[in-house]
Amino acid sequence: MIAWFAAAGAVGLWLLLLLALAVATGNPPVPKNEVWPGPATGALAEQSPAVVDLITGDWRLCDEAPSATLLDLAAKGAVGIEEIGPELSLVRLRRDPGDLTAYEKLVYDHVRSLAVDGVVATGALAEGSRNLSRWWKSFRKKVISEARAQGLSRPRWSRAHTVLLTAAAAVPAVAVGIAVTITDRKHDGGIGAAIATFALLIALMGKLNGERGTELGARTAAHWLGVREHLAATGRFSEAPAASVTIWGRHLAYAAALGLAPRAVTSLPVSTPADDRRAWSDYGGMWHVVNVRYPSRLLWGRAPLPTIGRGLAAGFFAGFWTWIGLLVASAFDVWPDALVQPGAYAVGLAVAGLPLGYAIADLGGRAAVRGQIVRLRQVQVGSKGNNRPKYVYWCAIDEGRSREAKAFGISEELWGRLSEGDRVTAQAGRRLGWISEIEIAERSRLRGTDTYDDTGEHRLNAPQNLGDPPSA
Amino acid sequence: MIPSILAVVIPVVLAIVVVSLYNRLVRGRNTVDNAWAQIDVQLKRRYDLIPNLVETVKGYASHERQTLEAVVAARSQAINAQGPADRAAAENMLSGALKSLFAVAESYPDLKASQNFAELQEELAATENRIAYSRQYYNDAVLTYNNAIQTVPANIVAGMTGFSPREYFQAPGEERGPVQVRF
Repeated sequence: MIAWFAAAGAVGLWLLLLLALAVATGNPPVPKNEVWPGPATGALAEQSPAVVDLITGDWRLCDEAPSATLLDLAAKGAVGIEEIGPELSLVRLRRDPGDLTAYEKLVYDHVRSLAVDGVVATGALAEGSRNLSRWWKSFRKKVISEARAQGLSRPRWSRAHTVLLTAAAAVPAVAVGIAVTITDRKHDGGIGAAIATFALLIALMGKLNGERGTELGARTAAHWLGVREHLAATGRFSEAPAASVTIWGRHLAYAAALGLAPRAVTSLPVSTPADDRRAWSDYGGMWHVVNVRYPSRLLWGRAPLPTIGRGLAAGFFAGFWTWIGLLVASAFDVWPDALVQPGAYAVGLAVAGLPLGYAIADLGGRAAVRGQIVRLRQVQVGSKGNNRPKYVYWCAIDEGRSREAKAFGISEELWGRLSEGDRVTAQAGRRLGWISEIEIAERSRLRGTDTYDDTGEHRLNAPQNLGDPPSA
Repeated sequence: MIPSILAVVIPVVLAIVVVSLYNRLVRGRNTVDNAWAQIDVQLKRRYDLIPNLVETVKGYASHERQTLEAVVAARSQAINAQGPADRAAAENMLSGALKSLFAVAESYPDLKASQNFAELQEELAATENRIAYSRQYYNDAVLTYNNAIQTVPANIVAGMTGFSPREYFQAPGEERGPVQVRF
């Protein structure tokens, strides 16, 4: 029992040490951890909008930062933003973007990967084959890297803190190990318990890690909060469209980073997941919207052969239960005896007729659908045995004739070979909406544009719990 | 009692439906007008660039008189064209004339090397691209509006209140798809 008290005491002391260090390493000014705005000013300092977003957001990067970076690129002339209509604006690449920071290049490369003839519609910025979560992490790392290089930001745990906490964690771990060894009759669980305790404490230490500000960072953040007050008082940024960067210049980019320009930020969905139902397609050479529908009808997105089986089964059961019902009805003289069987057959045929007719029609003649894949989605519809999730797979194709596309059902095997942006010719049933064959005429040009896959460029301790990617 | 309630409720419901449909049609018509204004802005921008281009080319290739005159004639025809269909046809002719001009420029290295010419060419290419997007935007707006005024029940309201179908911005016999002109 004494060993357990000693172990509990050791763990408690380690937790106290962790708490003390956590308080001591909070954001400046310690201990209030709150940066107050400086005097209102219109003087823009040298930090970029993304860094400003980080340091004025309690050292957490918000999802306005990539949009603000794009606005800054526009203000600096690397790209142009032009308004064509209330719901259509274009981002146009300029010839030479000049020297870009790592995260500016990331945003610029994303725009360039989407551009057709140097142009991409602003709404289409959410498109592309990138892994959004990885892209966001890469962006965040690069911004943090610059903020640290400017002395504005630091990780909570310095090397000394890490060494101290790690070494100190060994004490409670050993104490727990000894306590378990003494208590355990076989005396073989002590090492495992010590390792598990040590891992747990280190994980807790890691969880509390994150980006924190420096004294200089706090002073700079106070200045930028003063700029925010000035911009909030003088500019009407909340309704300013992204194209108004031509008038406002970098002020709009900073207003976006400081949360004052929601309309401009929303219209540049650089770090936003693509909408399932509103796709942007460049099929035909120009970006345009395609509204995608995923019909939830019983007889859409179904393979013909299983539909025949289901139709027959449904017809059989409907006919059988009708037969039972009519038998009972005839026993009470409510239904004529002679019509019991014909009635059951009629109901069975009526139930089975539609799926059978659709399936046979689709098996007899499939239509060729040529176009570009705009949406590939899997939707969970239940679970199979062993709690394995069951999915249905959808593939929407822009045929270039209409701004509406009805997604087709497709098998998992075919679905896995495709990617959005592929030019395809599919053989699909127009009644059941099922793709039975699909041929890729041209692979998506958006494949292989993972320039954000930075391995080694910015190796820094930026914990995963810092600045979550924007929610879907 | 019930007939008198129905006598009140039915006209009120009908009035709400008619007003709602009418407002939808007005919104559609305004969208079309706005989209047309966007095309107009871009076309005017192109008309303004052309005289500078012609002057620049004249300085290096003055004896390409025929090509230059064709561009000037196509420009004035485009300016005077009325209605979307005529205007689209005139604009297509102007785009063709500009293409010929840029083809001619290929034979004059000094002209090609001129920074003024390069800037004008880039600006015209960007304007062409904007015209193409404006045209797509306008034609989409017209499609939505025409569908609205020709389908039941909005067609009844449209007929009573004088909404008429709009023309697409396309030359006769031309596909309504995206048209890109590259210089």
